[in-house]
Amino acid sequence: MKLGVEERWDLIDRISKETVTFGVYRHTLKDAIGELTIKPMTGIPVAIAILYGFWSVFGSFAGFFTDGFFVRLFDAYWLPWLQAVFPGEGGWLYAIMVDAGGIESGEFVLSSNCLESFGVLTSGLFVAIGVVLPAILIFYLMLAILEDIGYMPRLAVLIDTMLHKIGLHGYAIVPTILSLGCNVPGVTATRILETKKQRFIMMTLLAIFIPCGAQIGIMQDVVPDLMGWILLYLIIGYFIFGYILNKVIPGRAPEFLIDVPPYRRPMLSNIGKKVLGRVKGFFMVALPFVMLGCAIVGVFYQLGVIRFLGDLLAPIFVGWFGVPAETAGPLVAAFLRKDLAVAQLSVIEMTKYQMITAVVLVSIYFPCVATFVMMLKEGLKELIGALAVLAVTVFLYGGLIHLIGKLLGVA
Amino acid sequence: MAGQSTSPTSPASQTSAVAVIYFAILGIATTAFGLADLMVTASGSEFAYGILEIPNDIFRGGWGGLVVFFAGLLYLSGARNMGDIHQFAKVAMGSILIWIIAGCDIFAMITESIPGGEEGPWFNTLTGFIEAYAPPYAPAVLLLPFSLVVIYYVRKRVSGETRGGTSS
Repeated sequence: MKLGVEERWDLIDRISKETVTFGVYRHTLKDAIGELTIKPMTGIPVAIAILYGFWSVFGSFAGFFTDGFFVRLFDAYWLPWLQAVFPGEGGWLYAIMVDAGGIESGEFVLSSNCLESFGVLTSGLFVAIGVVLPAILIFYLMLAILEDIGYMPRLAVLIDTMLHKIGLHGYAIVPTILSLGCNVPGVTATRILETKKQRFIMMTLLAIFIPCGAQIGIMQDVVPDLMGWILLYLIIGYFIFGYILNKVIPGRAPEFLIDVPPYRRPMLSNIGKKVLGRVKGFFMVALPFVMLGCAIVGVFYQLGVIRFLGDLLAPIFVGWFGVPAETAGPLVAAFLRKDLAVAQLSVIEMTKYQMITAVVLVSIYFPCVATFVMMLKEGLKELIGALAVLAVTVFLYGGLIHLIGKLLGVA
Repeated sequence: MAGQSTSPTSPASQTSAVAVIYFAILGIATTAFGLADLMVTASGSEFAYGILEIPNDIFRGGWGGLVVFFAGLLYLSGARNMGDIHQFAKVAMGSILIWIIAGCDIFAMITESIPGGEEGPWFNTLTGFIEAYAPPYAPAVLLLPFSLVVIYYVRKRVSGETRGGTSS
């Protein structure tokens, strides 16, 4: 059957009358609040408040489980039990799996806590379960709530102008925030960016300047009073080096269009699925590397590789970065396990500023092995480029932080 | 739109006189507390008076104080012509900021009150648990009950909206 033009319009009218509801749109309070959170004048204070809430809850929750229960469970029960039942005290397998210990007055002495024992079954398990699990769980829970409420697209719009200065756009906030939980999904999420230039800049900045949940958890545990300064240095570095990369790397950085949804009540089932999926993903992909990293660090310590490299690189660490010679070992070990390196640094005697410098260096150092593998998946050329940028950044930014400290008279 | 009038019987106009005065005063108090937070943090000294204790660490006093200060400004900005939905949204947002800061403080109290401490038992004693909630409190916690008043006005406005009342 063929309809004429008039008949077609009549049909359209009849269908629309039956299917479309007409009415006057009323601007509700929810709409008005939604608009307020996008306008810079009101949206930025709200973003500052939400990020405050995010980190405050993160610190309280992680501290509750880690300091309140896991530290005691691992240090007072798990470590002494393993030290007693694992055979071959003082041997290389014992050192790698349970406790590397220390030498005092020529005698082998067992460690008193899991952060100093550096065994796969002690430090490795403590970091994975006692520190990272609570941190990752609360981090992804908060992120899922913000996503489900509909706040993340608003944050993307708010931060869009700022991120354009470094060749990215508002969506780059997604991989950045995901990386604060674990760099692995962060690197995967760079695929939402359109051009190669944007993906390269994002991946490089994530690998260098965004500390993962494991590292943040350890920092929160061992150097809580310096967290603010360390994160400030990392944020400043993120924008300085992003700006430089944007100028240096050829390619396009297009605008983005985003549909900002209305605020919604979060759905428990959605949040549960997201959190479980992400935590499971972390444990399946990243956790084996945490344990493997512990084992390799242990082997390298036993073989004297880390001591050798530390001695070799000590003049650079002392002269250029302004940190004590003893930090050379942990900084070399950070190549494999950043979280354990932070724990090692916390027991070395140094000034506050040296501690800030050392922890920032650990953060901007080589990405963890799991991130390294993910970056390799994105392309060998990109990985080599990112590593070249990383080497230059560590050297320049580490030196710059030392210089700032000298100018301020604190280094 | 700012300055748009509403009908004399609308919920917005019924509440405006009392609400404007209330939220203006709350705005002044909140802004003052926010400034006090920032000044105490900048000075590095400690301040406690009666049930009030102003935190002086960079996170709670500095960052949190800034948020309290912003909440005060939102109250003050929104209290003018509160009948307009956009102005009222600012007042509601001011309260939400206070809830975030106070909620975080209360959550921190809860998480600190349950474990028994490094040398003690696994769980806190009942006395220790209750003591954790004793004053002094941070400014945001003291402002919390006063900020909850906004819920009454939100409900009033929402019921007005469902009856086909105000819209701007």
